[in-house]
Order: sequence, then C-alpha cells, then structure tokens
Amino acid sequence: MFGRAAAGSLSAWVLGAAAIAFASLTGAAQAQPKIAVITPYLAQPGTQFYVEGFQEAAKDKGWDVNVIDTKGDVAAVISRIEDVANQKVDAIVINVDPAQVAAGLQTAKDAGIPVFGMDSGSDPLLVTNVTSNGYAMAAETAVYVANRIGGNGGVVMFVFDAFPPVQVRGVVADAIFGNFPDIEVIDRVTPDVSDGGIADSRAKMEAILAANPEPGSIKAVWAAWDQPGLGALQAIEAAGREGEGIVITGIDANPQAREAIAAGGNFEASVAQDFQGIGSATADAVARVLDGETIKQTVIYVPTKLVTAANVGD
Amino acid sequence: MSLLALEGVSKAYAGVPALRSVSLDIAPGEIHALMGENGAGKSTLIKILAGVVAPDEAAISVEGRAVTIDAPNAAFAHGLRFIHQELNVVPTLSVAENIFLGRPYPRRLGGLIDWRQLAEQARQALARLGISHIDPRHKMGRLGTGDRMLVSISTAFLDTEGAAAKIYVMDEPTAALTGDESERLFAVLREIRRAGGSVIYVSHRLDEVMQLCDRVTVLRDGAVIVTKPIAETPQDEIIRMMIGRAVDHAYPEPMAAAGDEAALVVDELAGDGLDPVSFAVKKGEIVGLAGLAGAGQSEVLRLLMGADTVRGGRVRIGGIEGRATDPAAAWRSGLAYVPRERRSEGLVLSRPITENITLAHLGRFSRGGAVLARRRERAIATARAAEVRLKARGLGQRCYELSGGNQQKVVFAKALSVEPQVLLLDEPTRGVDVGAKFDIYSLIREWSARGMAVLIASSDFPELLGMCDRIIVMREGGIATSLSAHGLSEEVLLTHCYGHHQAIVSEGQPALSAGGPAS
Amino acid sequence: MTTVLRRYGTLIGFAAIIIFFSVSLPDTFLTGRNWLNISQQVSMLTVVAASMTIVMVMGDFDLSVGSMASLAGIVAAILFTMGFSVPSAVAIALLVGLAGGAINGILVSLIGILPFIATLATLTVFSGVAFLISGGKTIFGRDIPASFSGFARDGIPLGTIGEQSLSLPYLTIVALVVVVLVWALLEQTTFGRRLYAIGGNAEAARLSGVRVKRLRLAAFALTGFGAAAAGLMYASRVASANPTQGSGLMLNAIAAVFLGMTMSEEGEPRVHATLVGVLVLGVLDNGLTQMSVDSYVRDILVGVIIIAAVASSSLWKRFR
Repeated sequence: MFGRAAAGSLSAWVLGAAAIAFASLTGAAQAQPKIAVITPYLAQPGTQFYVEGFQEAAKDKGWDVNVIDTKGDVAAVISRIEDVANQKVDAIVINVDPAQVAAGLQTAKDAGIPVFGMDSGSDPLLVTNVTSNGYAMAAETAVYVANRIGGNGGVVMFVFDAFPPVQVRGVVADAIFGNFPDIEVIDRVTPDVSDGGIADSRAKMEAILAANPEPGSIKAVWAAWDQPGLGALQAIEAAGREGEGIVITGIDANPQAREAIAAGGNFEASVAQDFQGIGSATADAVARVLDGETIKQTVIYVPTKLVTAANVGD
Repeated sequence: MSLLALEGVSKAYAGVPALRSVSLDIAPGEIHALMGENGAGKSTLIKILAGVVAPDEAAISVEGRAVTIDAPNAAFAHGLRFIHQELNVVPTLSVAENIFLGRPYPRRLGGLIDWRQLAEQARQALARLGISHIDPRHKMGRLGTGDRMLVSISTAFLDTEGAAAKIYVMDEPTAALTGDESERLFAVLREIRRAGGSVIYVSHRLDEVMQLCDRVTVLRDGAVIVTKPIAETPQDEIIRMMIGRAVDHAYPEPMAAAGDEAALVVDELAGDGLDPVSFAVKKGEIVGLAGLAGAGQSEVLRLLMGADTVRGGRVRIGGIEGRATDPAAAWRSGLAYVPRERRSEGLVLSRPITENITLAHLGRFSRGGAVLARRRERAIATARAAEVRLKARGLGQRCYELSGGNQQKVVFAKALSVEPQVLLLDEPTRGVDVGAKFDIYSLIREWSARGMAVLIASSDFPELLGMCDRIIVMREGGIATSLSAHGLSEEVLLTHCYGHHQAIVSEGQPALSAGGPAS
Repeated sequence: MTTVLRRYGTLIGFAAIIIFFSVSLPDTFLTGRNWLNISQQVSMLTVVAASMTIVMVMGDFDLSVGSMASLAGIVAAILFTMGFSVPSAVAIALLVGLAGGAINGILVSLIGILPFIATLATLTVFSGVAFLISGGKTIFGRDIPASFSGFARDGIPLGTIGEQSLSLPYLTIVALVVVVLVWALLEQTTFGRRLYAIGGNAEAARLSGVRVKRLRLAAFALTGFGAAAAGLMYASRVASANPTQGSGLMLNAIAAVFLGMTMSEEGEPRVHATLVGVLVLGVLDNGLTQMSVDSYVRDILVGVIIIAAVASSSLWKRFR
C-alpha cells in the first residue's frame, strides 16, 4: 500500500523535477553578458522582426539572450522584469508601452540595470528608445505628394489622431501642405478602423469623389498609413477616374501597398520601416552602454526608406 | 459435491480485517441465506464473488473445479449472477437496454443492433418474474422504484449464450418490492432450486429468510459463526448469533401513552401527485403511513418538509400555523426529517459525522447564526451520537466510512439535534441491520415518551405494526383509511392497502375489520 | 505514512521545486527581495483563485472571472476619465463585480443553467461589455491617476538590506487579506460550512434545511467581487486598463485550485491549499525566468505538474 502510493506521488514529482532539470540544461548560462528581451507581443509579425534583428546582432557580440514572451499579459512583463533584475542580468530590452510597466522599470533602475526600449515609446526610466522617425516618415510622403503635384491642387488627407504615433504623422503633413499656398486640403478624414480601415476609407473616398466630379479637382491622397490609401485607390478605380493622375501615398509599406506600387497605378509611394534594423540598432545601443558609454539621446532613430515603383522590387 | 465452495477467504482494508478465513459451501438446488449485521462482511464476500474486490486469500471452486474470479466477466463466465442492493440503472436508456447493460446486444446481419430481438429477450427475462406490465421499450426513468428493482432483478434471468447461470447472488432484493412482487420473486427462486440451481440470499427480513431458505450462514465481525439448516434454527437464535447478544423483543414496548394535545394538524394538504390529505398526530403518538409502493406516503412527508411544491392546504405544528415553503422553514418550525434515501438524501457522505449531525440546526449551534462554534457543535454531536448508540472511530470520521446502520444513526442524530415537535421518518430502517434497528426503535420510543409526535412511512409492515399507535393507509395518492394498530394483523393491513379486496373482506368477514377503520 | 505522502504530496513537490531553485540560483532565489517580488507577482492570481475556491467548494466553476477582472479595470479607468475620484471609481468597479457575479448566481441557481455554460456565456458578455465601453482601446497615461497606479508600486517599508530598501507591497497585503477573509468565510462561518455541505451532496443539504439556491447565488456574487478586485489590482500594476488584460487569470486560477485540491483528503478545495497551488505556479514562473528557461517550457511544466499531482492522488485512491 505504502509502496504504491509513494511510487505514485514520488514518480510524478520526479518527472516534474526531471523536466525542470532538462529545461535548465537547454538554457545553460555561461559567463557572457546576459540580456533579457521581454515582450507581450511576440506573436505579432513586427515584433518578431525586431527580435530577430536583435538576436542576430547579439550572436555576433557573443551575448546570452533570453527572449521572454508573456503572451499578451502586460502585468507579467512587470513580473518578469523583476525576476531578471533580481537575477542581475546585464541589460533588459522591452517592447511594450513603458508607461504600463513603470513599476518594473523602477525595480530595474533600483537594481542598476539599464532598460532599453525597442520601438516602445519614450520614458524617463528607459536609457533610450530605438524606433523609426514618425515625423520624418510623414514628411517624406507629404513632400513627395507636394512635389508630384507641383505644389498646386486639392489634397485629401486620411489621418487618425486618436493613436499618438499616427497623430504625429498627420501634424507633420498638415505643416508641409500648409507651407504650399496653392495646395488646398479638400478633406481631412478619420476613417473607422474597426475592420482595418480599407473598407471605410473606400466609402469615405467615394463620397469625396462624388462631391468633386470635376477631373483634376483632386490631385492627391495622402494617407497616414497604407490601409486608407488602398481604400482610396479602390474608390478611384471603381469610379473610373484612375486616368486623372491622382497621386496616392501611404506609410509602412505593407505587402498590399508594395503590390499596388509595383502595379504602377495611382498608389505611388509609401515608407518602409526597418524592423530588423531597429532590432540591431537596439543591440548596438545596449553594447555602447555595456562598454561604459552614456547615451544622451532619449530616442534613437533608425532610417526609413521611401518605397516607389523604382525600388519596390529590391 | 457442492456447486460453489469458498475456502479460507480473507480480506483486510487498510489493515482492518473485513473477512477472516470465511468458508462457505453452497449445494446444488439450495437457497442459502447469508445473514449478519451491517459491517459483518456480507457485502465484501459478495464483492469478492463478483470479482469487484480482490481477496487477500481465497480458494474458490465451482462444481469442484478451482477457479479464479479476478474480474466481473470471470464471475459471469462461471455462471454467477448478481442482484445488488443499490440500483444500478441508466434512466435515459430503455428497460431492454438496461437489462442488456454490459452484455452483448443481439446483432443482425452487418453488425446492426437487432432492436426487436433485444426487446423480445428482455420481455422473456421479465416474464420469468411473471412481469407483463413493464414494456421493455419504455425509458427506465419512467418506472417507479419497485419496477426498477424488478428490472434489475430480471437482468439475472436473461438467457445468454455460453455461460449458463448456476448461482444467483441476491443482496436485499425485496427492499423496494411490494408483498406481491416479492412473492413472485420467491416463486422464481423456488423454480431455480427445483431445476438444480442455487441462490445465495442476503436479507435483513428474517421472516422472508425463514420462509424461503434451506440453510443459513451467519457472519459476525468478518467470521462465520454457524452454518445450519433453517428448519433447525429458530428466529431468535439467528438474531442472537448475528448480534452476539439476545434481543428479547423485536420491538421495544411503549413507555408512555400518547397525549391528547395535537402536535401536528394537516388540513387538505395537496401537491403534485397527492390528493388533499387531512390528519392529525398527537403529542407522544406514533402514526404510520402504509400503502403499496408509490401510494403517496413519501410525498406526504416531503410536502410537510417543503421539499416538493405545496399546491394548497394548511399545516399547524404545536398549534402554530406553519406550512413550510422550503426544508429550512420546516426544520425551524419544529419538524425533523429522516429521508427515504440515506445516501443520496440523508447524508453528506464526504463530510465528518459532527458536521452532518449539526447541519440542520447549524445556526443555533453557532455564534449569532454566522460564526461556527466548534466546541458547542462537538458537545451536541457527542451527546446525540451517544444517544443513538453510534459506533464510529471518532466524530471526525467521514460518513462514507460507516456501515449502513451507523449512517442511519447519524441521520437520526441530525433529526434529533434540536428536540423536534414532530419527527417525520421515511423508511427509517431500510437496509439497517437487526442490532441497529432495535437501537433506532428504542430511540423512537424514548423520544416519543417525551412528547414528540412521530410519523413513519414504511413498507415494512411488521415495523409499522410493532411501533405505531395508529396507521394511516394510503392508496393512489390519497388517504384511504386510518386504523388503530392495536391488534391489527399484517394481512388486514395489506388488504386495506390493496383496496379492492377491502370491500370483500369487510363485507364477508366482519370479524377481520375489528381492527379496521378507527378514525 | 501513506496518508502523509498523499496529503502532503503536492506540498513535498512544492518544497522540491524550492530546493531545486535554491540550489540552481544560490544567490538570488532564496532572498527576501525575491520572495517579496513573488508575493507581489502572484497577488492578483491569489485573489482570483481564492475567490474561485468559494464556488468550487460547491462543486461549481466560474469561467467568467478573467473577463470580469478586465471589465472592472475598464470600468474604473473610464470613471477616472470622467473625473470620478479614486475611491468612488474603485467602489463602483467592485460593485460591478458583485453584480456580475450575482448574475452568474441567478443563472446557475435560480434559472438552473449549468455553471460551465452560464459562466462561459457571461465570460463573453463581460468581455464584450469591456470592449464596448472602452471602444477596444487601452486606457492609460494621464487618464489613470497617480494615486491609483502608485498603490501597486508602494508598500510598507521593511528596512534596508545593503543599499536596497525592502518593502512589503500593498498588493501582497491585499492578497493576504483576501486569503484570510476567504479562509474565515469558508472555515469559520456557517456560510462556508453549508457551502461544503452543498458540494458534498446538494440534495441532502437542501433537505437538511440548507437554502441551497440563496447560498449559491451569494457565493457566485462573492467570486465576481473577488475577480473585480483582482482586475483593479492588475489595472493598478500596469497603470492602464485594457479589455483583455485579465483573461489569463481564469485558467491559472482553476489550475491553482485543482493543485490545492490534491492536498485535501476528500479532494475538497481549501483556500490555504489553493494558496500553495498559486505559489507553485508563481515560483515556477519566477525561478524559470531567472534560469533563462524558455517561457513556453513553463507552460508544459505546469501541465505536467497538474497531471502528476492529480494522478498521484487518484492512484492512491484506487489502491486504497
């Protein structure tokens, strides 16, 4: 009786212990710098690119990188920051809004461990945040539009002021169009984004086209991200007005937008962020701090690239 | 040569011996009674035979050949058939499917189930018990308790290929049967005996055993006390051997006469399946509710307790208007209840004895009705456990570990945790061994002498006749008549229960109705 | 001895895990700071699991605790944006939890829907409401008062070790208070005793005068209240509210209660055993992270441990 019960419960626990031991072997640590990368969003494509870029750079530098995915649980990010801070890792990289994990950042700061943002937003508790320059991206497409239409004509803007990173883009475009006295912003549209933004942008654009039937009355569509631009393109093609030379630009250069640009239609340009580059630039920033350097910039920008028909195939 | 021989069967649970080297020998063509108090080892012995429990030591032979019974299908293959005390039926399946549960269904070409053949074989199995009123295609859930028991029994008589039935083992088969149904079962058992088969018959009903069986084996504390022919063994000797002491009378004598004041007055109480009933029980009076199975006895008690929905009528308890809307209100108004099914309705088996005893009036044993007062609970539980002569290792023991008789004593201790004005008992001694039965009867007498009114619903007529001052006969969901129990015979009571005989009896033989309608 | 092993098998396993981590992480695991960290990390799960224990005592489940936690956080955050004070917003969010739990109770006890189905339905309802009133957005930043988010960062100072000061986090204190309250409720009151009776045999309890429907309703309401409290703790810790942030709590809470159930003789949930279950999960998270073990391995381990604990206790029953 005793033997069986003991065997039952003990063997079960031995199994568990063996699993832990196995797990620990796979993650064995040596005397190399230990870096923890913590994110709740590893399942999202953008984040995967950052992390890959970071890991590649880290491999060259000989670091021991531990990537921790909390699967959408933001509070768990705080917990894991506390754990790795306690373990005295050499640096922590996060990809989550720093305001939401401020409790963990404070713990890391108290433990003297530098924390880096990888496209996470700025925060005084971060050494620096590595990201793309949203102002520059918006300026690039807005200037492209202004130049293409010769600084003259009606422009439709698609914006989204409720989301800070996108709001920035709208403000920059406003300033650039405002600097051309002959450019008239016909409409500044905020589409319903609950389905991604394409369908509602198309509907809004169809209404604007109907209100401006004269060919040439709309010279360009500037969209703060790709989806509204794609919706506008559909509306223009459906109205049979693709021959009027209306210029469309987006931002982010997602696969659909690249396809539209490659097709050579009205959708002419977008801006690509360098996700891998953000990852490797973050690794560079970490390396600088590990070497004893102090980083003064609270934000480090990674160059973006204007995508047009000329380079879309690269 | 014996048909079935057991030699030196021993079994211990966690070091506590349940069977000590038991030997049993069943001759062909014999009905062999197995008697003993609950906990004496009968159930363990049957479970070993059925291949459900593995013995520590045993030598079993069937028709002289040594066999090993290590699984239920091995028992089946050796010709053993079992009818267990607890009903094992699936209410959502048909009667025929229940009869075939665990057996291969008859098949047609291509492996499809031959439903017609299934129903036909089930009908034949039922017919062996003389049952024609149960349609094998009906859902089991539609049948009453008695009919379900009959179906359970009939599974043992199902003809199957291969393993011919030789020995039937029956554990309290008549517990839920009416007299008629029991008689029909007995006829079948005698038929089996004539054909050379044997029956091991377990029952607490001594009169049945005396009437039906050829030999008796008495078990006590896991050991065989004696195996003797019934004819040479008087009833009181069997009882003495079972409990190890002499019981002078099966039923204790009344200690005091009933009072005049009414404790319970029921006026036109009605519910689903129950016509309006009116009756009264006086302080210190013990009143029985008799009737055929399903005549409404249980329903009366359940309505009084507020366990079922009351459709009308008035109830006065100790002169105070108090029709219960739910059991909580009923307990508070001075009623106490021992339900019909001890395990599913009477006890929280997984909880300790103390918690079960104090459950009904927990608020009164706590501080401000909210915070537990364990010492107070323990005191009342200790007192009541002593009063019901509970045998347990300790009051912290979980109830499922107790024997049936002791479990029932816990239910009684709960009912008496706060002295009730009226005690409602539904089959209070079903499945309870003789010793515990006598304890329970004595307890009822003691409390009734203190002025408590008692209402007993029971299918055990000798019990009603032995204990009650008055018996209310119920028929088809209403009260048929009320009889003084004094000088009443079982036959007369039974004819009243059947109703259509009553007219003949009372017209043709006026002498018999002397103990008849009294109210 | 057998009983000792069976009853304390989970506890022995817990001790084995602690010993393993102590040996593997000699400098950091068995430190006051780390255990204060763990206590804070598991505080929200502790509150949900303790509340879940209340309904599981009756043999019921509440699958909606996670989405109720999210909803409570969203409700409080929206009230903050509307200018409500912290105490009033918190009180209203807790009342929403109580009301949501009461709805579960009504569905289960008065209408008679199986708890699994009823709370699965309210899970999606609560979650839908949270999305609806928040517009699907995370509410954060200036909308969340500093006094609310500060609660999760502060604690009672315990003194300093070396150059670092230690403090007992408020979240830990809240979790401990909840565990003590639930323990008192389940083990020391007639309410708790009756819940255990219902869990053992609802019909016998009813016939013994236990008002089963009323108690079930109350128990579900309390569980909803606890889930809302955990949701507010979560929102305070992340200084934001998001309509999905509590969703991970439900399965972990049920896992913790099950782990705890393997420690009682009758397989009944006890809140102090639930706490051990929570700690097993929390310590695994903490230790494995410190050992740089892949975070997905932890999920596999938790599953293996639950199976191991439950299997060993049911094997014992078979051999008894």
